[in-house]
Amino acid sequence: MCVCVGCVCVGWSQPGILQIGNPLAHFRSIMKDGIANNSTASISQARKAVEQLKMEACMDRIKVSKAAADLMAYCDAHIREDPLIVPVPASENPFREKKFFCTIL
Amino acid sequence: MRSPPIPEMATQEVQLNETLAHLKTESDNLKSKLEEERAKLHDVELHQVAEKVEGLGQFVMKTRRTLKGHGNKVLCMDWCKDKRRIVSSSQDGKVIVWDAFTTNKEHAVTMPCTWVMACAYAPSGCAVACGGLDNKCSVYPLSLDKNENLAAKKKSVAMHTNYLSACSFTNSDMQILTSSGDGTCALWDVESGQLLQSFHGHAADVLCLDLAPSETGNTFVSGGCDKKANVWDMRSGQCIQSFETHESDINSVRYYPSGDAFASGSDDATCRLYDLRADREVAIYSKESIIFGVSSVDFSLSGRLLFGGYNDYTINVWDVLKGTRVSILFGHENRVSTLRVSPDGTAFCTGSWDHTLRIWA
Repeated sequence: MCVCVGCVCVGWSQPGILQIGNPLAHFRSIMKDGIANNSTASISQARKAVEQLKMEACMDRIKVSKAAADLMAYCDAHIREDPLIVPVPASENPFREKKFFCTIL
Repeated sequence: MRSPPIPEMATQEVQLNETLAHLKTESDNLKSKLEEERAKLHDVELHQVAEKVEGLGQFVMKTRRTLKGHGNKVLCMDWCKDKRRIVSSSQDGKVIVWDAFTTNKEHAVTMPCTWVMACAYAPSGCAVACGGLDNKCSVYPLSLDKNENLAAKKKSVAMHTNYLSACSFTNSDMQILTSSGDGTCALWDVESGQLLQSFHGHAADVLCLDLAPSETGNTFVSGGCDKKANVWDMRSGQCIQSFETHESDINSVRYYPSGDAFASGSDDATCRLYDLRADREVAIYSKESIIFGVSSVDFSLSGRLLFGGYNDYTINVWDVLKGTRVSILFGHENRVSTLRVSPDGTAFCTGSWDHTLRIWA
């Protein structure tokens, strides 16, 4: 149900996809269109974008093979301690335990 | 009939347009150069490197607890560091603190606004923060006295000019990071309500944020309706990296446990993994059969599993390294809106538009 009064929230369709009612989109700001039409403001924005890109270009990057190896190494080092992959005995996982807690009234 | 423009103004306008065009070309050139540099290091795919990794076995994960009590859609939840308490917020303005072991409600607060889209537990476990359509983030100290009226001690911390989409305490109870529909993120001092730093760079609503694990320093990642995920330096307010490969709004971002990467979930029905040191997307988690948006993502303790809550009421569990889906979980009767793994990784909690929260293990 949409929170807006008086609007029909049917959904936003992308080609082939029906999204069932996206009420939050009504509250989404108009920033997308609201950027100043004023030329001077656009220029200052464009300058900032260029500065940002120049800064990002200076970054030291590593190869994907190295990055992937590091991600794998981390997983490998911690997988045995991951209770959702290597289950701990039921008695140690409070959520898997069979017994229920009762409060004494 | 329009009068002809005054000659000086016309020249000025032409000059401005030329500068704008020049800047646009420079910006486009820099973007291509950036793509070129990134591409040079793209020597292999993550799932190829991961072929030699042992496959994961069968998963038996099911609902172990169902938390009932909200009167409307659950929008957000967060775990307490004690691994047992949970705070959740909903569309009807209610914020509830639960004991997840016993499913008892420990505290309840009614916010003065509806759509409480963000809530967070303080690291000490002594307070919760929440906000939404009121454009604010408020902190409620939790009292041990069940009869005390929590609303009386409420402290307004953050003020945005549009809805609050997410909030998170930093390493202490003293600072809060917020993101908003006004396109900005901000860091606030809880005690004084003072704005410590603001983060500008998104071109539309910011929907989510996540703080880097403390060992990796003072950065955080945010995702927005402009399809971008930005990584920020908390001290300088500068955007240090930006990723734009999603095809729609990014609803959720979460750091990989090592802090070297982060995952995102989007309305384009995919989750993606971005490596920060390689500065690029390294994996996409998608299937042709999955057409509904992802509302929230989180990693298991080791980072090997990625859980995604979807708008088609399911949870998909992905093998982060191999890129394949290892499990699909059913149970909720409406959209899954929020998902978080517990601090010790023994379980994860989901909140849904079906008014309930479920604990899975």
